[in-house]
Formats: sequence, structure tokens, C-alpha cells
Amino acid sequence: MSTVGRVIGTEDATPLEFWVALAPGQHVQLDDVLAVDRDLGDDGQITLYGIVIQMRARHEGARFDSDVFLISDGKLPAEVSECAMVQLTRAVPETFVPPIPGAPVRKAVGEERNRALDVDRVERQLPAGLSRDGEPMFIDLDFVDGTKGAHVNISGISGVATKTSYATFLLFSLFNSGVLGQEARGTKAIIFNVKGEDLLFLDQPNRALSQEARAGYGQLGLPATPFDSVGIVAPPRPGDPAATPATGSRSVGIKPFFWTLEQFCHQQLLPFLFADAEDERQQYTIVLGAVTAQLARLPTGREGSVHLDGRTIDNFSALVDAIAEKLQPEDPDSGPDPAWAGRAVGTGTINAFIRRLASSVRHVSHLIRSDIAGSPEHSLDFQDQVTVVDIHQLHDRAKRFVVGVVLRRTFDAKEATGSARPLQFIVLDELNKYAPRDSSSPIKEILLDVAERGRSLGVILIGAQQTASEVERRIVSNCAIRVVGRLDAAEAGRDNYGFLPPAQRQRATILKPGSMYVNQPRLPVPVLVEFPFPAWASRPAEAAPSAGWVDGDGAGAKSDGALFRGCDATPPHCGLACGQVDARPQPRR
Amino acid sequence: MGASIKFAVDTWGVGYDPAPDASQLEPATSDVDPTVELPVSQWRPIVPNPLYTLPQRVAFVDGIRRIDASILIDSDGDVRPGICASVAAGVVVTSGGTHAQVVDVRIERCVFGTSVVEAIDTRFGTYQPRICSDDDRESLYLGIHQAMVELELDCGDDQDAELIVFDGPLRGRHVAAGVGYIKAQHVRYLPEPTQQVVYGLGTGQRSPLFVVGSGGRNRWSWYVRLPGPITHGLSGIVRCELPGVGSIDDAIARSDVVSRTLVRFASEPHKDPRAPQNLYPIAGLERTLRHRLGDAALFQRQLLLAASERRSVP
Repeated sequence: MSTVGRVIGTEDATPLEFWVALAPGQHVQLDDVLAVDRDLGDDGQITLYGIVIQMRARHEGARFDSDVFLISDGKLPAEVSECAMVQLTRAVPETFVPPIPGAPVRKAVGEERNRALDVDRVERQLPAGLSRDGEPMFIDLDFVDGTKGAHVNISGISGVATKTSYATFLLFSLFNSGVLGQEARGTKAIIFNVKGEDLLFLDQPNRALSQEARAGYGQLGLPATPFDSVGIVAPPRPGDPAATPATGSRSVGIKPFFWTLEQFCHQQLLPFLFADAEDERQQYTIVLGAVTAQLARLPTGREGSVHLDGRTIDNFSALVDAIAEKLQPEDPDSGPDPAWAGRAVGTGTINAFIRRLASSVRHVSHLIRSDIAGSPEHSLDFQDQVTVVDIHQLHDRAKRFVVGVVLRRTFDAKEATGSARPLQFIVLDELNKYAPRDSSSPIKEILLDVAERGRSLGVILIGAQQTASEVERRIVSNCAIRVVGRLDAAEAGRDNYGFLPPAQRQRATILKPGSMYVNQPRLPVPVLVEFPFPAWASRPAEAAPSAGWVDGDGAGAKSDGALFRGCDATPPHCGLACGQVDARPQPRR
Repeated sequence: MGASIKFAVDTWGVGYDPAPDASQLEPATSDVDPTVELPVSQWRPIVPNPLYTLPQRVAFVDGIRRIDASILIDSDGDVRPGICASVAAGVVVTSGGTHAQVVDVRIERCVFGTSVVEAIDTRFGTYQPRICSDDDRESLYLGIHQAMVELELDCGDDQDAELIVFDGPLRGRHVAAGVGYIKAQHVRYLPEPTQQVVYGLGTGQRSPLFVVGSGGRNRWSWYVRLPGPITHGLSGIVRCELPGVGSIDDAIARSDVVSRTLVRFASEPHKDPRAPQNLYPIAGLERTLRHRLGDAALFQRQLLLAASERRSVP
């Protein structure tokens, strides 16, 4: 390989970082992979590999800024010097010495490029995208599946960072690259759709997929197809007695989900309605604990209802009324039932509890019900490989409830099996909402549990957020793989992104969609990867038409069978833009 | 190689860029004929003819010198002074609007003194002995200057250049494209009243041609004022020399071309203390040459090392 330049001696060359002056006529660009040898005498020869993370060009011999005009006019002689800053990725064999100034530097290509990026030592390669030289870049599965590390964390601003797209791409790669071997079949994933409706079409091919993107999949050894086995569940439409799923642009192939009152009581889900249930400063948590314990003992009725004091309770509102009756009997002479309220609890505390409970009714009553025939069948079963839980239309409080309950159930179920395999993946965006740095909640506790113990239990979190600085530190620090898309400039300056060298931090503020920095334990420097455009649709307009389906502009819409709503508006407005029923949660009448 | 002489480095005596007495460099000559272009009575400032095409490819030849160490040489019980110096010469070529490039850099390191000097080896090169007529300061400086001029004479045979500007007098160089360029006016050539015309030159104007020297070494010469603030009669005045061959008409045409070309390269005072005479390409060349001489402290240390090694030899 020809020399592109030489290590310079006017800047310190260190074992981890050095500058290379480019020879005339040669050029490199950011993210190029370079190699330089050093002879260690009796200790043999080592090769240092690194990535170009910064470059500069300047006039040597000029003293004033305006000299550039003299130089351009040919009046003043000057040399143009172009230098590249290289950050070490690997030393082979591992000997940390600086390269010697003057040493010739070459581009690392082919085998050498794989060695430089440590790809050659990775046995189980999870395709993570294409690096800037168009070659596949891999993540070591050992650092995803819990063998040596687990969890993925993705940061980036909304819209251009394409966090969710990358998370789904990673899942797709996991299931389809063969890296999981036989296990791929049993491995499952739960994706929470927290914003828009872009995850509701994972099972539909993307019409807008270009040939170039297809080639990208080919290079990564992945099929350019949608997900194989996808189940999509959505909460029922509030006020709809038939409990049809409340989604905007897609109504077909989506199952409604809710919990029966029996499940709510016996699985002790009540605390998930309270954001600060773990906060020990709150007095009402005593009441909460007592009520939860009492609910767990209620006998079961038909269709998942419960019996309390001889009454059948089949909806959440009735349950709240019954609880209130226990705590604040209508008869002014009798006090609260101590079995329900706990002992020596003041009226103010009880009021605080009831107030909080009552305010949740309007947000979650359609999620906790036994008023429909076959109610128990609507609980989440996660039969498919990928289950998308759509919660984007729910109120924040209901969102937290669903996420908390699903996580708890998944985690407990996995714990009960006693085996880490097959793996269970969980994709959750807006981690800052569910596990904020500065407060405590039941969901945060579960997420912490997943982050800290999930590795050994086989529960792997692929979390994402706009700002890692606002997420509980212990959750982010437990993620072996960190991914950064485009960052807000102020956010990029925070120490949470210490793994990004300064030049890359700066660059993270201008990353284009589809480009991510992937930081993995194997490499001391994050690598920029580009992942191909999703092969699955992320909007109705992208979903390829097939029998019984219509495309986004609604032309030739069929009323029979499954169909996408004729709408190409950006969710969540589409439901309204199409003049359809306002699917947003309605106030309880 | 010559490890026999013992010497010490005189840490007191280092001076940089020694300038020998100007009178010894440019001996005044009485052979001046100011009447070749105009009679003395008609001497006046001349605006160079703007119709001539200016040369595209212009080369500038210059040299620099640097004292690396003053030394004291043991010589049969006597101590004689000497100087270790580095000299360099090079060419910078400017070609139309493209970048000026330094080509052909030559470097020499010498130890100057009387017959007692011998070569001194260091890690970064050998100081070759150069015998001077005497070992007083002035003679040694003159020796250094001679070494530099010799290097300059070796450079500057750029065949493609339409104009080659030699820093200093022509010194016998008879290159057709060559012109001698004398920045500082230490010697007065012209008799009154012609000298007054020089003082009165406007920016870009030249004096009428005159001939200096005699026999085979006569040159066409003239003064030209480069652009810049005029604080005294000689502000921005340079003298040029052309080989004394060809017709006066050719020389006049050439002098017009040269005068107008030089104005293009004149430097400005905020960028160069020797502006405007120190032309931009020459300043850049000097900077490059000085850089190429290497670090002065490094050479001084090498000489100290060489001196101590010789002293330790019994």
C-alpha cells in the first residue's frame, strides 16, 4: 500500500494520538483508517492503527493572515501543509508506544482495515452499518447479549437522529444476520412505540427503498425485507365498547390490549399508576401498599372481573369507587378500614392517595377493564418475535403504566424461567421520561433492574433518548454499546459523551440522518457508521401496496379486508386530518 | 578527519548575520559614465515604458549566512580566533499567478580562519575549512560573505526564467536574463547634479542608465524607486545592474521591464522592516533558507561537543 504521508515531529506523537502530514498529491478524509509501523528492535515490529478524527491545512512560511494573497499571487513562497490527526484504534501486537516522527503512514484497506477496527477478532459479528469506506462495521455480540456486556443506548435529537430507526435496524440485524444462530427463533423483542406511528409498519416492505439501500443490506449480509414475525398491539379506543385499537393510520393486523381487573389486582399493578410510589418521603405510599395487598386477595369473577364485598367490579372506575369507599366510608361515624388504609394514617394522607388514584381514572380506565366478552384474551402475550406496543396516543400517566407493567411482567417472567436464553430485547425511546436522573419511580426501578441485572437474566435494553444527560446515570453507564446520532450543541458538550473525542463531539452536531457514532468496548474510539434506509415501511406512504392494501394517497381504496387509512399526513395528526374519529383519549363522562 | 586541532567554543562571541564593512564589498569605482542614455544636462526621472510585456517567470537568487559559533583554536601554544558559520543560497521562482516555489537550495557549513583551521565533524554535518587572508573579525566576516556569494553564483542557472534577479551586484555573472539588485546604497556612484535626479525619483520611476566598471566587467546600471513612504531621498531606492553587453536601446528596454517588474514584488513596511527593498519573494526565500540551516542552538551544542571530544584526546 502506498504511503499517504508521514508522522510529524512538530506535534507530540503519543501512543493514542498522533498527527500525519500528507505527502503532496495525497489525501485522506475524516474517518479514514490509517496504519503505521514501528520497529522495536529485538521486540519485533508493531503496527499502530487509527482513525482520522481531525484534519487541518495551513500555509507554512506565512506570518500574516494577509500573506495568503501574496502567496496566491505568486509573490511569497510558502508550503501548503495538510495534516491529519489520528486516534489509535488498535496496536498489533498490543504495545503502546508512539509512532516515530517521519514514519511512513498508509491507508489500511481490506484485511488490514478489519484488523484496524478489530473486526478480525470478533467471532460473533453483529452488522451495525457501513463505515465511511463502504465496508461493513460490526458490533461484537458478546457485548450485546450479556456474555461480556449488554444493553445499547442511543442518544440524539428528535427527527434527524433517527434513534428509533437505528434501534429497529439493530434488532433486524440481530434476527436476520444469523449471528444468533439457532437462538434467533426463540429470541423476542418488545418495542414501545412512543411517538408517531412509524413503528406500526415493521411488517410491511418499504416502497421507497432505493437500489442503493438494497445494496447496503446486501453488503451487510442482510435481506432487504421487512420484519418476519411482528405483532402490533394498541390500547383500545376510549369510550368504544368493542375496544377496537386506537391507531391513526393503520387499523388492520393490530390487536387491542388491556388488563382485566383480576390481572390488575392479582398482579399488583396499582403502584404503576403512581409516578412517585418509590419516594419514601411520600406518606401516601403506606396506603398504596395496604390497598395493593388487599386487592391481591380479591376473588375473581367472570371475564376477569373481581368481587368486593359481594359486588362484581368489571371496570376501573368502579374499582376506584370501591377503594375510596373503603378508605373514606360514606358513614361519617366509621373511620377508614385499617386493613386498607394501614394503621395510624391521617386523613390528609388518605386524601392524597385518593386524589392521585381518582385523577388516573380518565387516563387508564380503557386499559383496565373486564366489561368485554373474552377480556382475558386481550392481555399481552408476546407470541410474535417482535411485538410493537403502541402507546403514542396515551396520556403520559398511562404510558408510564403500560411501560412499567410490561417491563415488570417481562422481567419477572424471564427471571422465573431461570435461563438467560433465548434473549428478550426491549426497545424503549424517551428513557429520560421513564428513568429521569433526578427522581424516583417504579418504572425507573425496573429499568435500573434491567440495566443492572438484565445482563445475567437475558433481558437486553435498547434504550434511546434525546439527552443522555437527563437519564439516570446508572442506566446509561451499564450500556456496553453507546450510539450517538446528531446532538444538540449544548448537549454534546456534556460529560456524558466523554467517549467522543472533541472533534467528533463537534461533528455530532452536524451528523446527517442515518449516520451514527457507535462506541463499543473493543475500540477506544467511536466509529461513524451509516445504516441503510429501513427496508420496512415507517409511514403509510412507504408501505408497499398489496392485495387489499391501499397506498398513502388513498387512490383505489378498498373497504374490504385490511387497509391503511388513506392518509399521508404526519402522525399524530393524521387521524384528525382524515376526518376520522378523534382517537385521542376522551375525558370520562 | 582532522581530529588533530584542538579548539574551544567562545560562548561570548556569537553574532548573527554578520555584515562586513560595506566598502570592502562594493569597491567604489571611478569608472562611471552617466551619459549613455541622456546627457547629464538632460537627466530627469523616467517613467518606464508601460507597453512592454512583463516577464511571467521570474527567479530570485539570494543567500544568507549565520555564525554558529566563534571558536578559539590552539596553535602551537598560540590561540587563534576562528568562526564556524553556515551559509545557504537558493532560488525562488514565481510564475504568473501560480505559487512561488523555492527551488535549488544549497547549504554549506564552514570553519573560517587562517591556515590553522581543519574540518570539524558533527552529527549533522562537517564544517569544511576555509582559509581567510587574516583572522581579524573583518577578514573572517568577509570570508563568510565570499562563501555565501560563491554559493549564490552556483545557483541561478534557471534556463526557463525570463528574468533572474540576483541579490547584490552581478559579480561577473553574465546570464542573459540576469539583473543585479542592490537593496542598500552604501556607495555613491553618480556625480552631481545627476545624484539629485535620483533623490527626486517618484514611485516607480527610474533614473537614466549609466555605465559602471570598465573593460570586460562594465554593467548597465540605473536607480529605481519602489513604492512606499518617502522619508528621505533614498527611501525605497534600489540600484540595478545588467551585463554590459548589447546595444543601449536593448538595455533601455530591458531596464523599463525590470523596473516595472520589481515594483510588483515590493514589500510593505508592516510586513517587513526592510520594506520596500526587501522584495516579498526574497524575504520568503531568506526565511526558508534560514529555516533550512537548521536550529542554531543544535549546531552550537554539536560544536561544543566536538570541542570537548578533541580536548579529551591526549
